[in-house]
Amino acid sequence: MQHFVLEQALNFLIQNGDVNLEPLDQKIIRFSLKDLPLEVDFVCTNNRIFVVNDINNVSDVDIKLTANVFFALFKGEDLTDLLKQDKIIIHGDVKTAQLLVDMLQAVDIDVEETLSQYTGDIVAHEIGKITGEIKKITQESSNPLEALKDSVSNFLINPSVPKTYKNNKH
Amino acid sequence: MDNTTHFGFKDVATKDKQGMVRGVFDSVASKYDLMNDVLSFGAHRLWKRYTIASSNVKTGDKVLDIAGGTGDLAIEFRKKVGDSGQVVLSDINAAMLGEGRKNLTNKGIFGVDFVQLNAQYLPFEDNTFDCVSIAFGLRNVTDKDQALREMRRILKPGGCLLILEFSTTDSEFLKKFYDFYSFNIMPKLGEIIADDKDSYQYLAESIRKHPDQETLKDMVLEAGFGFCEYHNLSGGIVALHKGIKA
Ligand SMILES: C[S@@+](CC[C@H](N)C(=O)[O-])C[C@H]1O[C@@H](n2cnc3c(N)ncnc32)[C@H](O)[C@@H]1O
Repeated sequence: MQHFVLEQALNFLIQNGDVNLEPLDQKIIRFSLKDLPLEVDFVCTNNRIFVVNDINNVSDVDIKLTANVFFALFKGEDLTDLLKQDKIIIHGDVKTAQLLVDMLQAVDIDVEETLSQYTGDIVAHEIGKITGEIKKITQESSNPLEALKDSVSNFLINPSVPKTYKNNKH
Repeated sequence: MDNTTHFGFKDVATKDKQGMVRGVFDSVASKYDLMNDVLSFGAHRLWKRYTIASSNVKTGDKVLDIAGGTGDLAIEFRKKVGDSGQVVLSDINAAMLGEGRKNLTNKGIFGVDFVQLNAQYLPFEDNTFDCVSIAFGLRNVTDKDQALREMRRILKPGGCLLILEFSTTDSEFLKKFYDFYSFNIMPKLGEIIADDKDSYQYLAESIRKHPDQETLKDMVLEAGFGFCEYHNLSGGIVALHKGIKA
């Protein structure tokens, strides 16, 4: 369940944060969380990220870290610093890892403010809540992904205001 | 391919199945939406919403919904892709497609293309779509492997296949309840509401004949997809399989 949720959250942010994923095209990045039974591959393709947990894939880079450090990456922590402090272990193509981290951090603009331009306040507020949740859970929760799941599920059950499209072709 | 296949619990000549399935959907088309709501207690709307949310479809994408019937998924995809994208609502059955067209018009959704087609022979160029979906349709297709290969062919590299279908639950309690419901209540409701017991008996049987989660995952991979994952909904009564063309 978690990786489905993670995927939705990531892609929502990527799309609305206008992040270009092309440099990562066809790359597979494996994340293993040391403190949670979670090992997922980020498959970057067709300008989006699919999060899968079929570990038979051959990855370009493996990143091992704790859940807190994983979420810290979203908050703009410097990868080199985390590497120096041994908070993150990387095997394989470090350049790919750096590209991904750059991308995650590009998303960590003022999410709420940025999204409201694209999606209206309701969705922006929900995503803002998710980001707030991420920040909160890095400090409080023993199971950050569960908390993330809850807030994203909540968002999914209350999606953006429906809009009717007119046919321009006819 | 073998000369016989199943139509619900019956063995029938492979060449006859498609016509028999057509008979079922010709018969249920006009009451299809109502029956869906009644039989699933409205849950099909949540399953479909989850499917859309998992699709990763974005503005400008091209999406094909196969066996799309009355167009629930196509409507939501249309909202996602916007005017710069394209959505094709397709079905083998003219009556179902007709209901789909009516439904979209009634809901003020325009700019969706309608194509009558068989999932086994998709009339599109290779590498055309960002996403192909099929909801509650695959179990009716005679040669599922061929259909899956076709879906892969017309997806762009990195394109995503979504299969929403009834599946198998591990819970003994749910299994018992579901069996009783499917074989006793569902056909009865079909008789009362749609005056069509046989079609709903077939629908219940076809669900039991459909491959379970792991088997379908293997079939998707066997068709050449680079990745396939599934997620159980409502305890596995329904599963969403997601394949990615590498
Ligand atoms: C249970 S309905 C699902 C309709 C819609 N996708 C939904 O979820 O509400 C199954 C649909 O599959 C269509 N179908 C059956 N065999 C097919 C085939 N070989 N190719 C394309 N569509 C097919 C039927 O005509 C019918 O509309």
